[in-house]
Amino acid sequence: MSTSERTSTPVAAPPRAAGHAGRTVARLFGGSWVPITVATVALLAVSPAIAPGSLGSASVLSMLPFAAVLAIAAAGQTLVVQQRGLDLSVPGMMALGAVLVTALPQQYGVGVVPAVVLAVLVPALFGLLNGVLVAVFGITPLVATLGMNAVLLGTVFAVSDGTPSGAADGLNRFTLDRTLGVPNTVIVAVVVIAVAAVVASRSIIGHRLTQIGVSERAAAAIGIRVNRYRLSAYGFAAACYGAAGLLLAGYAKTPPLFLGDSYLLPTVAAVVLGGTALTGGIASIAATAVAALFLSQLGQLLRSLGWPDSSQLIAQAVVLILVVVLRVVVPTAWQRWRGRSTS
Amino acid sequence: MHGAPTAASAGAVGTVVTRAAEQQVALRLTGIDKSFPGVRALDGVDLTVLSGEVHALVGENGAGKSTLMAVASGALAPDGGSVEIAGTRLTGASPDEARDLGLAIVRQDPALLPDLTVAENMAIGVGHRRVGGIHRAVAWSQARLDPWGMAIDPRSRVDELSVEQRFVVEIAKALALEPTVLILDEPTEHLNLDEVSRLFSRVREIVAGGAAVVYISHRIPEVKQISDRITVLRDGSVRGTFSTEEVDEAQIIERAIGRKLEAVFPPKGSEIGSVGTDEVLVVRGLQGEGFHGVDLTVRAGEIVGLAGVQGNGQAALLRALAGLAPAEGSVSVQGEPVPRGNLAARRSGIVYIPADRHAEGVFMSLDVAENISAATLPEVAGAGFVGTRRVLTRARQQIEQLGIKTPGPSTMVSALSGGNQQKVVLARTRLAAPRVLLAEEPTQGVDAGARVDIYQILRETADSGAAVLLLSSDGIELQGLCDRVLIMSRGRVVEELTGDEVTEAAIGRAALMSTQLRDRRDADRAGGFRRWIRGDHAPALVLGALLLLLGLVVSATNPAYLTPFNLNNLLFMAAPALFVGAAQQVVVLGSGFDLSVGPLMGLLVVLSSFWIVEGGNLWVGLGLMLGGALAVGLINGVLVTAFHVNPVVATLGMSMALQGVYLALRSTPGGIIFPTVSEWVQARFGFVPVVTVVAVAVLLVLELALRRTRWGLRLRATGSRADAAARLGIRTGRVRLGSYVLGSLLVLPAAVVMMAQIGIGDGRPALSYTLTSITVIVLAGTSIFGGRGSFLAVLVAALLVQQILNVSPLLGLSQAWSYWLPGLVTLAAALLYALARRGGLPSARRRRATTVAPGGRS
Repeated sequence: MSTSERTSTPVAAPPRAAGHAGRTVARLFGGSWVPITVATVALLAVSPAIAPGSLGSASVLSMLPFAAVLAIAAAGQTLVVQQRGLDLSVPGMMALGAVLVTALPQQYGVGVVPAVVLAVLVPALFGLLNGVLVAVFGITPLVATLGMNAVLLGTVFAVSDGTPSGAADGLNRFTLDRTLGVPNTVIVAVVVIAVAAVVASRSIIGHRLTQIGVSERAAAAIGIRVNRYRLSAYGFAAACYGAAGLLLAGYAKTPPLFLGDSYLLPTVAAVVLGGTALTGGIASIAATAVAALFLSQLGQLLRSLGWPDSSQLIAQAVVLILVVVLRVVVPTAWQRWRGRSTS
Repeated sequence: MHGAPTAASAGAVGTVVTRAAEQQVALRLTGIDKSFPGVRALDGVDLTVLSGEVHALVGENGAGKSTLMAVASGALAPDGGSVEIAGTRLTGASPDEARDLGLAIVRQDPALLPDLTVAENMAIGVGHRRVGGIHRAVAWSQARLDPWGMAIDPRSRVDELSVEQRFVVEIAKALALEPTVLILDEPTEHLNLDEVSRLFSRVREIVAGGAAVVYISHRIPEVKQISDRITVLRDGSVRGTFSTEEVDEAQIIERAIGRKLEAVFPPKGSEIGSVGTDEVLVVRGLQGEGFHGVDLTVRAGEIVGLAGVQGNGQAALLRALAGLAPAEGSVSVQGEPVPRGNLAARRSGIVYIPADRHAEGVFMSLDVAENISAATLPEVAGAGFVGTRRVLTRARQQIEQLGIKTPGPSTMVSALSGGNQQKVVLARTRLAAPRVLLAEEPTQGVDAGARVDIYQILRETADSGAAVLLLSSDGIELQGLCDRVLIMSRGRVVEELTGDEVTEAAIGRAALMSTQLRDRRDADRAGGFRRWIRGDHAPALVLGALLLLLGLVVSATNPAYLTPFNLNNLLFMAAPALFVGAAQQVVVLGSGFDLSVGPLMGLLVVLSSFWIVEGGNLWVGLGLMLGGALAVGLINGVLVTAFHVNPVVATLGMSMALQGVYLALRSTPGGIIFPTVSEWVQARFGFVPVVTVVAVAVLLVLELALRRTRWGLRLRATGSRADAAARLGIRTGRVRLGSYVLGSLLVLPAAVVMMAQIGIGDGRPALSYTLTSITVIVLAGTSIFGGRGSFLAVLVAALLVQQILNVSPLLGLSQAWSYWLPGLVTLAAALLYALARRGGLPSARRRRATTVAPGGRS
């Protein structure tokens, strides 16, 4: 019965205009890239009015690298959410990426370039392990990734011996530099996001990932090897977290050991704000990236208003919950209002 | 007819005539209208059912039978018309009201809670008063089930029962309500001849007692045998009501399909000679779960039916051929052996149309065009990238050729009617150019118009040289479409019908006659210990052994372990783990999740540090903590139940917000907890801390409440299957809301212990308790999907987790191990349970939950 109720939304309305408006409302709040883009532009527009200087070049340049890091990490989270999971190992993966890129050159004498490669590859392997636990053994993603996070933090501790290392100068300089006035971190993020977004939305692989996200069983029935795709989704996601961690480590110069802790909620928030449904299926990495920009600018705005970091946590949580609740409440209220006005 | 207790049926028919005058109306439906998107399911239906009669409702798939009964039972609100039960008009769509008026319904999808025992299910289904309290439920259920002779142990969990046993439980439940109107929706689909005749004699008994029975079936011979009157439904309208004596089977069929069979079904290949000589699909000695020793051959252009009482291996065989389930033996397509796996089957040209269209057939939240090209993406792609325009063009062609009714190719497939969704599946299938087509119940929940088209498409596919294997429970469909029909029983092909033998009556008879015996798992009757080991408490024993073993090993290597100081410390630190484990367990039992456990604990500690200090007020402090816990539990619960926010997202947001709040209150540790209070909390008997004793007592009380109180039953019912629980009248929203509040309240004592232990207002040390709580319940074997768990196991698991954390410094392990150990223990436990749970298949649990195919909207 619930299916028929749910499915009655789009075509059940005989008056064309109301049906069309209903669809628009449903789309606006049901998730798509439009609302988050509008919201981001609006936020950028009102920022100077609320806090003068919050859109100044210094302010933007200090915000962008963090937005870039968040966008890359959130792209990974998008892949996992698309498979109806939620990746709680983001903090551990980012910390691992960071510790590999800092501690390997400093404590073990590994070159910077191999360290960068390892900082992406090693988390990716752990991500594949997540995928094996989830896809092959049927462990709930939540439990698998939460347990994995603790394992990763232990590994970070073991690799670093408990003390943070500084990032190699080359990496530090690269992350601080700008090319043609654009911070290198942003360029990296744009490239990563663009490639990931095009592959995810246009390629056969992307279509299959979407199909599996909508229904594993239906995907299996048409001959897709579901587990392989799910495994690689977790693997690629972890590679993204590793990359985000290494960029952040380079930018921060001497990163704290567990630098990813404050990124878990924002990645989830960015995915949700970007319109990807937690029930899996259709996902937009590009929209997630825009949402990451939104969240970073919101943080920047609050910071220039003098809010402490603790309030930022609250603000992020409130924005996340508010958006999720609005997505439920607004279409229902609209439906009810329209039902009353037509009958 | 065949094998029926004819004397009894003759008697029943005889009494009708004489009693007809004084019979009262038990159920009256007047002018019922109901539309679904794109389909008019019911159109001004009138139906009058008299007390003391068996009234059969006959019609094809999609005629509207189940929809009509959903309306009658208050489960579905009609767009127009009224429902009257025993003279009282139903005021709204309310299953509770209908039940109170004396209506009971046995649906195709039984409202059973898989994680609860049979007795508990019956107690919830018929109400505790009728059973005489939960403690009597086992004996009471036993008395109701024994007459069926199905060897059902009331103490077994429902998910351990076979499908037919579940049906019998559901029927027994409905009969126990002593209904004035009993609706049976396809009750015999899973039953063998013996069970059917037992069902019929029960039906006659209750009819003799003055009740009315509405009997829905598409098995015409059974309808002839059991009913007094027959109402035929076609395309959502009543096509007449007849006295059963006045019509024969052929007439009923003709009225149900509204025309001659030849007009509905395309000519058979075996009649017009389009069946080739090529043996396209050859199966030899195939065996897998549910079937064995299967040999069959399907030639090009041939449609072969698979029939039998449901659950005799037909569906399992089809899935194995599609590469979706493991099997041994040989399968070849056009002489080429088919390797294992779904991709290999697909590459060999095998295409599968699943029965469960919503979950497995279509991609519900994708559009029509995506669905149509889903199986053949490489054909519309260049260099690995999908050409959107080509996908749309192809979709438009298929929409036109198959007459798919959709606003356009970009419409979500979920907005289409069942018949058009199925046509989308067929469009996808056609494009995949099948050499072998496996179709499972392709017309279930499909309206009449679309069904004729679907028959046409299936025949065309065969005519184009494919071998078609059709699984259907509809005898008319098999008769009209199949060149041959294979009857399966107990996992084997036992009979083959060809040519003129392919008739509805012969198929039904062969299926029933061949399934008189059934392998029954008598393990359900196994002794107490074996039942216990499969039960919820078993992990407690294993974990207890581990706990002791670890203790012994450590005390042997390090004498510091057995000192009263260390034991006191270990037990004291176990108290918060016990409480947070219990908190998480309560929430998870209701199929929720709470990631805010640790931060809530931190917030409460910080709150305490403002009042439970020198010069403060203990009671204000405790009041604040209580208020904080209540508020957090309520907010979490309201978000999840009223606003349907995913529990993980709601509590993740909450956990971050709580961290923000306690950091705002105290950015650095501060506020020394009043030492006297700390000492109270740390009071002990010998080396045993009082709080730990309290914690153990709380868990034992919770365990008792979970088994013996209605709260416990409702919580497990809600977590086990919320939709079924709601159908049984449980207010699942309230139950879940309550579980979040109780969960948060259980965090409060954990915070008090933490407060005494660290002695200062600091939230950060509590953060790790979120993971601890989850480690504990995972170790305890609690089902993460809800409905099943044991507080005894949580008790032992919490002690074990604390023990593991306690011994790592004693064993001289580095600090990294303080992260590794809980993580690895969580993963290892989850892995072991996952392996133990599944009998070879990763998704065994999920599949088990959906063994009974939902009826769709017919």
